[in-house]
Amino acid sequence: MSKARVIQAEWQNDMVSFSRRDFIKQVAAGGGAAIILGNLGVLHLSSVMAEQAVTYRMIAVDLKKCTGCRTCEAVCSAYNHKQKVNGELLNGLGNPYLTNIRVHGFNPDVDVPAVCAMCLDNPCIEACPVEPHPETGRKALYRDEETGTIRNDRKRCIACGSCAEACRAERVGIIYPNPETNKPERMCTLCDGEPQCVKYCPYDALSYMEIDLEREFYGKSPELIAEELTRRWYAIDGKEGKNE
Amino acid sequence: MSKGMNGYHGVILDIDLTSGKINRKPVPVEDTAKFVGGRGLGMKILWDRLKTPGIDALSPENPLMFMPGPLSGFPVPASCRTCVVTKSPRTSAIASEYPQASTVSYSNMGGFFGPEIRFAGYDGMVITGKASSPVYVLIDDDKAEVRDAKKFWGMGTDEFDRKFIEELGDRRFRTCYIGPAGENLVSYACIINTAARAAGRGGTGCVMGSKNLKAIAVRGTKMPDVADHKQFLDFLEQAREGFKGTDFTKGWRYGGTARALAWSSGRGSQAVRNFREGTFADIDKIGDEAARQKTWIRDFACYCCPLSCKKSGAVKTVSHTGLAHDGPEYETGTMFGANLLVSDLGGLMKEISSGDDYGLDIISTGNVIGFLMENYEKGNIDRTFLDGIDLTWGNVDAVLKMIDKIARRDGVGDMASKGVKLLAEKIGSDSDKFAMHVKGHELAAWNVHVDPGMGISYVSSNRGACHLNGRTLEEQNSNAMIDSTGVCLFADYGFGEMGLQNLLTAVTGIEWTKEEYAKAGERIFNLERMFNFREGFRREDDTLPDRFFAEPLTVGPGQGAVLDRGEFTKMLDEYYEKRGWDPKTSKPTKAKLQNLGLSFTIET
Repeated sequence: MSKARVIQAEWQNDMVSFSRRDFIKQVAAGGGAAIILGNLGVLHLSSVMAEQAVTYRMIAVDLKKCTGCRTCEAVCSAYNHKQKVNGELLNGLGNPYLTNIRVHGFNPDVDVPAVCAMCLDNPCIEACPVEPHPETGRKALYRDEETGTIRNDRKRCIACGSCAEACRAERVGIIYPNPETNKPERMCTLCDGEPQCVKYCPYDALSYMEIDLEREFYGKSPELIAEELTRRWYAIDGKEGKNE
Repeated sequence: MSKGMNGYHGVILDIDLTSGKINRKPVPVEDTAKFVGGRGLGMKILWDRLKTPGIDALSPENPLMFMPGPLSGFPVPASCRTCVVTKSPRTSAIASEYPQASTVSYSNMGGFFGPEIRFAGYDGMVITGKASSPVYVLIDDDKAEVRDAKKFWGMGTDEFDRKFIEELGDRRFRTCYIGPAGENLVSYACIINTAARAAGRGGTGCVMGSKNLKAIAVRGTKMPDVADHKQFLDFLEQAREGFKGTDFTKGWRYGGTARALAWSSGRGSQAVRNFREGTFADIDKIGDEAARQKTWIRDFACYCCPLSCKKSGAVKTVSHTGLAHDGPEYETGTMFGANLLVSDLGGLMKEISSGDDYGLDIISTGNVIGFLMENYEKGNIDRTFLDGIDLTWGNVDAVLKMIDKIARRDGVGDMASKGVKLLAEKIGSDSDKFAMHVKGHELAAWNVHVDPGMGISYVSSNRGACHLNGRTLEEQNSNAMIDSTGVCLFADYGFGEMGLQNLLTAVTGIEWTKEEYAKAGERIFNLERMFNFREGFRREDDTLPDRFFAEPLTVGPGQGAVLDRGEFTKMLDEYYEKRGWDPKTSKPTKAKLQNLGLSFTIET
């Protein structure tokens, strides 16, 4: 340890011991909260879920823990856009432009990571106009039953953008048509069963779990979530806010 | 990317607001190798651009630079900083032959702006000239243009932050901007991003305002390459692990810099009552515990930072209910709180929010208001001088009125907008003895009586009084390096002894040994000093205000503490000697400059 750093760390460490009492209390995850009325998509989903035996896993966000640091973006990009270096396939450097999970920042401070909700009723696939393949039954956009993720068959995709529109109109709005090809991107891959965003989130704000339709804000767009959290956290009108 | 420039794009975006011309300029490989990036590379460009001393900092020639570092844009913990480098509109020399002499200014901000400059494909931005009417600069990867910003002129930073993103139509744009204070050329105006983060010190917002530049927006899709991909990933993994679960990390998350409010007061090192005292009796009313209970809502972090020292809050149970803003931090809480004897947390939050909204450096603003309060108390100025404001200690309403006057340069605010050095000249009555600045740049929230090392940090800093300069030359060289990598100074300790050097080596392909790393920091620091020397700054400019030698603390654990002038002079002598500088003039010796590869500065 260089002398300079020791000196610099002195007051910091001093203060750590000075104020080390109970650290930020663990805030309970938002499970069990009421479904927002008017979210027709989610109400519809509940009935779908009741009929279906299968469910899928997804990335869930604890919005109270997210600090908006965007580490999730970098690690998602790195894992899902590997690079061949001297013949070896390695993680990429983490360009956040390529990430499938995206943190949307608002003012006052609310950060909402948006990621594929793995919707049981697949509005994106429903919207895909490509005829199902006679053998596999898959449209261009389809559910990969092995991983549970939404994938696009680029060869069959006609680049119409319907899936992105459906996602934006009905759910999170994560599907993004590539600016050059107009084919859909940013569907979560779950990183072969070990989601990197969950693994590396420095604040444990992300978890890998089964879809929970009761979970507050499930399938909602970042804008809607931010609007509600801004009202709740910051008491902009001076009345409604409360410390949670 | 230029050949042989791993870790860099090799491109600086050069924007001339007078002609509206935007060019991509190559960065010489030897400059990135020697001056790294950020503060260091910015300093080198400043040296190259301003060939003659004494150029007015507010003239179109003065370049305003936004400089990320070679680690910016990579997901290295806390690699989030942008160093704004320019010639300072804040400082002046005692006996320079140039009337417009001033030092270098560098001011460092967190957030997401610096990384995005790199995503857009640049290692930095250099802005010169002056637009004929208010404009903003839009950079979208290779596309860059200057756009009209008349409708935004006069808008506070909070509203602008929201309106600007609406106009841009994509939250992925990263923006920074000035408020009314910068537009009105308040000398200590700052540059704000995300409505609360600031390149606070050194008058960068004033320089931006002088160019009629309201804002910059940047968005990109690229990434520079690294020299050793595999090694980089390994070191990155190590760095992330190094921050995980440590007391260091927990401490930052727990209270950010605000932890220091009570701590510093408890050891007598806080700026209280215009630096007359080092301990504030009411500190618990505005410290981190009070803030946590009454205002803080959430922790927020800059790009890829595991420390989340940013505390956003809403005022709910104290005065000024309904306000949503950051704070208090150590600097804002001290300079607008303890230093003015303000103990009303809600009022303090209102002051901070107002200062940020106008785009003022809260450190200098709090210092100026404290100085006026003391003069008012002593009868050196009366209420008429203050345009009727009853500027008594702890009076939040009066402070808010002064903030408003300063930002608009209205009445007394016009004089106050120039800083304590010029105010003291105007007021007279020996008020210069308690005008708390070095070279015209106001002191930050750390008091000196019990901490002579902080005195060395203040007087030897190349941008005028600076608490982040470092108490020793080792610390100073190290800090100059960190400011040049793009990584946050607060996070440095978390990387361990060789963490940053290893990452830099993997990224740039240059072997960054401990020695080379320290030497590059020294080189940067010496180039800054040579810039200042060329402007006419000498040893007599490296002087602390009289107060610290004449008036011992009267309260708190530091009671009785005062600096001994002889001892402090001796400390400074030793400092110059160790630096290899002439103790009479503070000029780096020829041998030192040659050794550091700064021969090009020698003729001055």
